[in-house]
Amino acid sequence: MKIGLEMHFQLPTRSKLFCSCPTTAAEPNQNVCPVCLGYPGSRPFLNRKALEVGLSIARFLDCQIEERVWFSRKTYFYPDLPKNFQITQYESPLGTSGHFELGGRRIGIWRVHLEEDPGRIRRVGRSGEEIAFVDYNRSGIPLVEIVTAPDLTSPEEARAFIDHLVIELRSLCGLEAQDEQTVRVDANISVGEERVEVKNVQGLRNLERALKFEANRQTKLLAAGKKVVRETRRFDEERKVTTSAREKETEEDYGYIGEPDLGEFLIGEMARSLDLKETPLVRAKRLVVSHGIGEATARQMVLTSTALTDLFEELCIIVPPERAVTWTMGTISANWGALQDPAKWPEIKLIVKDDQEDRITDNEAKRRLLKLAGVHQEEAAEGDADLARLISEFVDAHPEVLADYRKNPKAANKVIGHVMKESKGRYSSKEVVEEVRKELEKRV
Amino acid sequence: MSAPDEYGLIRHAQQKHLAFTEVVDGLEASKFRFSAKDNLCAIGFQARAGSAVLDGYRPPFDATAISRLKGTGGQLVGKTTMDEFGFGTFSTNSAHGVPLNPFDIERSCGGSSGGAGAAACLIPGHISLGVSTGGSISGPASFCGVVGLTPTYGRVSRYGLIDYGNSLDKVGLLARSASLIVPHFRTMAGPDHKDPTSCAQPALGGKGKLPSSLAVPTEALENLDPAVLSGFRGALEGLRLMGITVKEVSMPSLRFALPAYYILATSEASTNLARYCGMRFGRREEDLNQHFNDFFTGVRSESFGDEAKRRILLGTFCRMVGFRSRYYLKSLAVRQMLIDEYRRVFQEHDAVLTPTMPFVPPRFDEISRMKPLEMYGADFLTVPPNLTGMPHISMPCHYADGLPVGMQMVADHWKELDLLEAAVAWEKEFPYHFPEVVL
Repeated sequence: MKIGLEMHFQLPTRSKLFCSCPTTAAEPNQNVCPVCLGYPGSRPFLNRKALEVGLSIARFLDCQIEERVWFSRKTYFYPDLPKNFQITQYESPLGTSGHFELGGRRIGIWRVHLEEDPGRIRRVGRSGEEIAFVDYNRSGIPLVEIVTAPDLTSPEEARAFIDHLVIELRSLCGLEAQDEQTVRVDANISVGEERVEVKNVQGLRNLERALKFEANRQTKLLAAGKKVVRETRRFDEERKVTTSAREKETEEDYGYIGEPDLGEFLIGEMARSLDLKETPLVRAKRLVVSHGIGEATARQMVLTSTALTDLFEELCIIVPPERAVTWTMGTISANWGALQDPAKWPEIKLIVKDDQEDRITDNEAKRRLLKLAGVHQEEAAEGDADLARLISEFVDAHPEVLADYRKNPKAANKVIGHVMKESKGRYSSKEVVEEVRKELEKRV
Repeated sequence: MSAPDEYGLIRHAQQKHLAFTEVVDGLEASKFRFSAKDNLCAIGFQARAGSAVLDGYRPPFDATAISRLKGTGGQLVGKTTMDEFGFGTFSTNSAHGVPLNPFDIERSCGGSSGGAGAAACLIPGHISLGVSTGGSISGPASFCGVVGLTPTYGRVSRYGLIDYGNSLDKVGLLARSASLIVPHFRTMAGPDHKDPTSCAQPALGGKGKLPSSLAVPTEALENLDPAVLSGFRGALEGLRLMGITVKEVSMPSLRFALPAYYILATSEASTNLARYCGMRFGRREEDLNQHFNDFFTGVRSESFGDEAKRRILLGTFCRMVGFRSRYYLKSLAVRQMLIDEYRRVFQEHDAVLTPTMPFVPPRFDEISRMKPLEMYGADFLTVPPNLTGMPHISMPCHYADGLPVGMQMVADHWKELDLLEAAVAWEKEFPYHFPEVVL
């Protein structure tokens, strides 16, 4: 099975791609101006931050980057598209021929480019008598499109690919926290010879479902001696099936021409001078190699906290890595809320060193760490259990919280508020927040 | 001239010559008064660009060129008639009246800034903002017997200009003399962050340098009306008497300019015009209960004129997969070839000089018998500098049976002041005539 993905992520900029309208949520048609409404006489100007973020993504994916790029007009008529053309990049993407490692395999990246989002259509009323409203707040929001080679081999792998990519991009350039739910994907999938494009799937869960359905459908067709027709299909989220959108024998003709209003951008210097942060999964890979710790441990650590991993690396200087893991992922991470203050790190290191050189016992070391964190040992033992119990009791009693949390992580605040009140300040807010998140993630 | 008389002239230009689509109710005691072609957006006026599809559209902002002129004490007195979206050579493709030539109302003002040319001619001291894509300032300047400056592409911000071909459109000025144009050109020029293509320009110098050596391409002297050719040759003698060297040169690439121009301009235009679909602004259909495709098609079929439809079809064709590289991409290469050819000439000469239009202003009955290709061909002298983005100026150089004949001078990028210097010197030697207006 071959699967290729075209993913669209919203870039974390404060203003839109070609005007200064804010990207924040607002009442319909409030974040608009003559540029993003396509008024005659208005013209676009490029958001520098969006270009920088796009280029860091292209560099992170190890793409080839040209010295000079430009934008293009992709012309098609649709009510949510104010100019009836979309400004995108066609012959001249930010990056080409990159790759991303997934489970030890190289997944090819064909291209990375910037484009503007169209508006959004909302239909109101009974079926057949619907009224369509257009909200242009989304018009001009910066998107990065990332296109992979058809190197993915299963729906699960496709999901894992985006999952890992989002973890990395979130750390690299601050993609929004809910991008697993909001990512928009067009996927190409073929079980046999002919490929089918499933367009406009939103979110990872839907993507995996759509691909599984489609793989199954194609397999059955081929098994019955029938042919898979090359076409575009849509995923019906309610019925969880893909349906034919239109037969696609030839590519749609968008009549691309260069966008003359924006001119050309010399990006080589900007691309070279960008300082790329080490992303969590890249870091985990490095920890495995340089400290010989387990892959799962490394991944758990980097995903828990960047600062915790920093402390781990500092501890590795004074104790063997396996001991550093024990302390970091044990007592330290359990009391991370109180111990994350770097002012306490010299003392932590001292305790760990004393233990390593047998000046104190493990128990004594643990007692000192807990004291540094401001908890007594007896309380801590009960306390941890108590905190976990408070959380799980509340979530058991309020199953709707879990449903809300799936849609919006902010629903966790309800649990946090309850636990803070019940525990009367016995735990720091950080501890509570982390425990609640952990519990909810486990259940989701 | 006192204010009421000037207002009388503006009304006369509007009513008798259809130069204006809209005018103000009265004049203010301002330093100077100017008009703007109807494709430039201004608060307080409709901006319809000669098209019925924009009927009722009132832009919520001023074009940068307009706000800058207002900033130096100018009053915008009205919007001038034009070919729909700039699509024409005679201003006959207008949904809001066809302007009539100040020298003979049975003849064309030229296009597409026809109303701007007529207003500049009829109102002494008046400043007309025009826009040129392929010759829409030079043409009307020639036919209306005024001076028309088309600046370098990117010199004047296009913010607030309703697009025809974005890589070709230039905002410029028409007036009775070059000396009138100079201060206002200085006001309008300069970078504007709202138009990124205006931000790469070098600063305007203090004073231009009078060109001392002019090149006349032999290719530009073919297929001319004899009256234009002999008038132009006479002007060359006048220039020589001023101590300027005039030499014939060959510029064989000029003949590729016209097809390349029409391909690039219509390709861009066909995307620019996509937004006019009856949503958000301009004219809309009453029946909203339709599929959007039918709704869009209805508005566009009804509101666009024939020439707009022709150019949308032509441009859309040139952008299609399979034709794109044969037409659109090849035309981009021709543009570069032409720039190189001008640059070669500028190594030995300061400017290139040709007649502006191949004939004197034609009568409307003659125009109605012309085929589209003949009309496009009338631009063969104005299109080359427009395609290269080089600045050019048209000025009267002869009167044939009372009708003005213009000549057009082209300089290298950013050298507008040299052209203005030449035009100021010329108008001292060759006094211009203007028709007498009887109110």
